[in-house]
Amino acid sequence: MFSTLRVLVQIAFRNLFASRLKTAIVGGIVFFGALLVTVGGSLLGSVTGGMARSITGTLAGDVQVYGASSKDDLAIFGGFGDQNLAQIDSFETLKAVVEKVPNVARVVPMGISGALVTSGNTIDLVLEKLRNAVRKETQGDRSPALLAEIEAQKEHVRQMVQVLEGEQKNLVALVDATKLTQEDRDNAMALARAASPQFWADFDRDPLNALEFLENKIAPQSTDADMLMLRYVGTDLSAFGRSFDRFRIVDGKPVPPGKRGFLFAKYFYEDRIKLRTARRLDKIREALSVKGQTIASDPDLQRMVHENERQTREILLQLDPTSTRNMTKLLRDELGSKETDLGRLLASFFAMDDASFERRYHFFYDRLAPMLELYRIRVGDTLTIKAFTKTGYSRSINLKVYGTFEFQGLEKSPLAGSVNLMDLVSFRDLYGFLTPDNQKEVARIEQAAGERAIDRAHADDELFGGDSKADAAQAPPAPPPMPKEAMPAVSAPLEKLHRDDRAARDYDPAELEKGVVLDAAVVLRDHSKVDQAIRDIGAATKRAGLDVKAVSWQDAAGIIGKLVMTFRLVLYLAFLVIFLVALVIINNALVMATLERVREIGTLRAVGAQKTFVLGMLVVEAATLGGVFGGLGAGVGALVVALLGAQGIPATSDVMNFFFSGPRLYPSLAPATVALAIAIVLVVATLSSFYPAWLAMRVSPREAMASDE
Amino acid sequence: MSAIVSVRGAVKEYALGAVKVQALRGVDLEVGEGEFLSIAGPSGSGKTTLLNLIGCVDTATSGVVQVAGKDTASLSERQLTELRLNTIGFIFQSFNLVSVLSVLQNVELPLLLQRRFSGKERHDRVLDLLGRVGLADHAKHRPSELSGGQRQRVAIARALVTRPQIVLADEPTANLDSVTGENILALMRELNRTERTTFIFSTHDAKVMAHASAVVRIADGRVLGREAPAAAQAEGH
Ligand SMILES: Nc1ncnc2c1ncn2[C@@H]1O[C@H](COP(=O)(O)OP(=O)(O)OP(=O)(O)O)[C@@H](O)[C@H]1O
Ligand SMILES: [Mg+2]
Repeated sequence: MFSTLRVLVQIAFRNLFASRLKTAIVGGIVFFGALLVTVGGSLLGSVTGGMARSITGTLAGDVQVYGASSKDDLAIFGGFGDQNLAQIDSFETLKAVVEKVPNVARVVPMGISGALVTSGNTIDLVLEKLRNAVRKETQGDRSPALLAEIEAQKEHVRQMVQVLEGEQKNLVALVDATKLTQEDRDNAMALARAASPQFWADFDRDPLNALEFLENKIAPQSTDADMLMLRYVGTDLSAFGRSFDRFRIVDGKPVPPGKRGFLFAKYFYEDRIKLRTARRLDKIREALSVKGQTIASDPDLQRMVHENERQTREILLQLDPTSTRNMTKLLRDELGSKETDLGRLLASFFAMDDASFERRYHFFYDRLAPMLELYRIRVGDTLTIKAFTKTGYSRSINLKVYGTFEFQGLEKSPLAGSVNLMDLVSFRDLYGFLTPDNQKEVARIEQAAGERAIDRAHADDELFGGDSKADAAQAPPAPPPMPKEAMPAVSAPLEKLHRDDRAARDYDPAELEKGVVLDAAVVLRDHSKVDQAIRDIGAATKRAGLDVKAVSWQDAAGIIGKLVMTFRLVLYLAFLVIFLVALVIINNALVMATLERVREIGTLRAVGAQKTFVLGMLVVEAATLGGVFGGLGAGVGALVVALLGAQGIPATSDVMNFFFSGPRLYPSLAPATVALAIAIVLVVATLSSFYPAWLAMRVSPREAMASDE
Repeated sequence: MSAIVSVRGAVKEYALGAVKVQALRGVDLEVGEGEFLSIAGPSGSGKTTLLNLIGCVDTATSGVVQVAGKDTASLSERQLTELRLNTIGFIFQSFNLVSVLSVLQNVELPLLLQRRFSGKERHDRVLDLLGRVGLADHAKHRPSELSGGQRQRVAIARALVTRPQIVLADEPTANLDSVTGENILALMRELNRTERTTFIFSTHDAKVMAHASAVVRIADGRVLGREAPAAAQAEGH
């Protein structure tokens, strides 16, 4: 048997080049098939691998556990807004059960939510500084330094008002008068008043009143403060850092245990919090240096340059009169211009091309940036997050921003860098959770309060020391929830007081374990055994009577996780179609080749080859073709992948950036992919040889005698 | 003299659509061991058909064909193939060498199929035979690099490499010029003498017949008679 096979292979190898046409067609198809599978498989593997790492290594873990009676599916990277998830009352109990499952390395408590944050616009920030200074003054501080600061801030505000008034006039000039709304007219009147010398003359007599006018009527007109969509995970921050070992702090420091605090994802921080002009400069620089693009040839880069030229207001509003003068002088010298208007100077400074970019980029960061606030929210600032509880009540808390973080190897991944972190206790506050214990306490407070008649809506304020209108559903009977717009205005200072109070309050780290969570990330020891772990966790929690379910990171990641699977499916489908077509073509080529070889086959039969030998010969020949050219194709494919891996494939759009988990994809070769490629083409080549081999088997030895007419 | 091939009353019919063509109409033939027999006849007389029956690549419609003592009608397809491999050697009119294989590989092919010999044994045997047909220096050549006569020598070596009892050759010289044909016949005759191998070849060339130990004449699917070569030659002219 073995010797027959050896003879077959021997003859098959000798016959490899029997028919040039056959070899060219079959070999060519097999070669490109193997190449395609190797390169395609490696690319997909790298994309999905990168996304998988972005998901599992950063937030989701390998398995997510969440309430089985949740109305929505857990979607960590899903759309904005909250999913309706059933809360898990005691993380401690869950953790104890899940940690006993053999493959489980760590269990991290979590809650995922998002909120709109108004990142105080530039005017607000300046007004706040002015208010603080004025407050000190009213408290009796008469130092020359303070008075000078007040004057400087006032000047800054006046300049801002001028910028806004200029824009307002432009608007009026553009739009015909009948189309102006009442709001436009009110805004114009307010600006006129704030710009008048009379207003500033009156300012010192009643600064608080004047400030309130500015805050309510002027600040909202500056639209540079957009609503920031902030997606965050509330977690045990120290456990999080231990469990996701790629995690590291970039700016600032970790939130100390027991402290409330917020950490920005570095990518998000750069992308959304940074001064947009600076961010665009960074992006252009990355495109020029990392991706090797040029401004001259890339419309996307040209667009960014134009935006920088046009959108100088963000910078102008930041500058007080002194800085304005300084920057004007700097730019006049740099540009050799006689222009006196800073807005125009900035516009021509930002009109960069490939030749001037590098110098101006450095000039911006070295000379201009020190006068600017590069980030709307700085490390060390306090961030106000206002979220709505499930029933529509608003809660807001102040959190100190301790720093920014990133995940090693995924610094450039938009996916990995899209979610921020906060301590779990603050998350629970924001979400309006009540554990059964808490609910009991609410009842106790109520009783104690007795005739104080705290309504239940305020009970959890009492509990958390907060300001919110509590979640009515948690403690019935409660007054019907009020529509969001009709929320009673709480006097601002009082609200602030509460918020600050809570932000400052420490918590007992044990609180993390005891309380409520929405979900838990499970990190496995052996990342490849996700399915087994899901079954084990499911069984363990069921035995413990916990109403939870365990899902894979793919399922938990929402749309993104499904995308990864869809990619795979689409690619495999494409492969299937390609190989079905290949099968037909190879089959035809082999049939033709067999017909050409009728005399040869007849001779073999006459000389003493059995039918089965002929059958085997053709199959082995096709398989040899498949193996040789498949191997070549896979080899060249491996080379291509290695080349791409060294060079990197540049992401030319944001979408690609997202899927590449960074500005370049560095595909790597998986040995399994090469094996798969060769296996597939071997199978296809072998299958395609069955019909021609069957035909060959039926060739009569008489064909050898037939004289060639 | 014992008969190595014995054909009695062999009839072969081909169905051409509804019409039946009788290629052989009751052929009787005895071939003795060590004979160098020529089958002669005009085109379409049934020479190839008869050789096919003897060579076990076809079966008679009726009648008996015995080869090396075996009744071919009683053998299965597999057994017939075995018989061809071990007992019969073939030489074809158009040589039928495998073009992708070297001279050496072509000659080695039947030995590979036999699976009886080691690589060295095969090699020795092939080179020995190539020496005898005068192609020792051409072992590594491709058939396309050889002349017609050389190719037919390779075919002869291939037919003899398994030391068969019978070698069948269907018009072995038809594709060769007359001088080369003569040489090929002389070589076959020599091997017939030295190896004691029975040769049966068909031809309609009188000069070729002259080499034969006996000539069997057929026409219209019937044997006309067996003659001494000299007589045949005389008649051919
Ligand atoms: N496969 C076949 N199908 C139908 N008829 C056939 C077939 N093979 C041979 N014949 C017919 O049988 C007869 C004998 O043919 P055969 O080939 O045996 O003659 P031959 O003596 O070898 O002729 P040639 O000298 O031309 O080779 C011829 O009439 C031929 O047409
Ligand atoms: Mg013939």
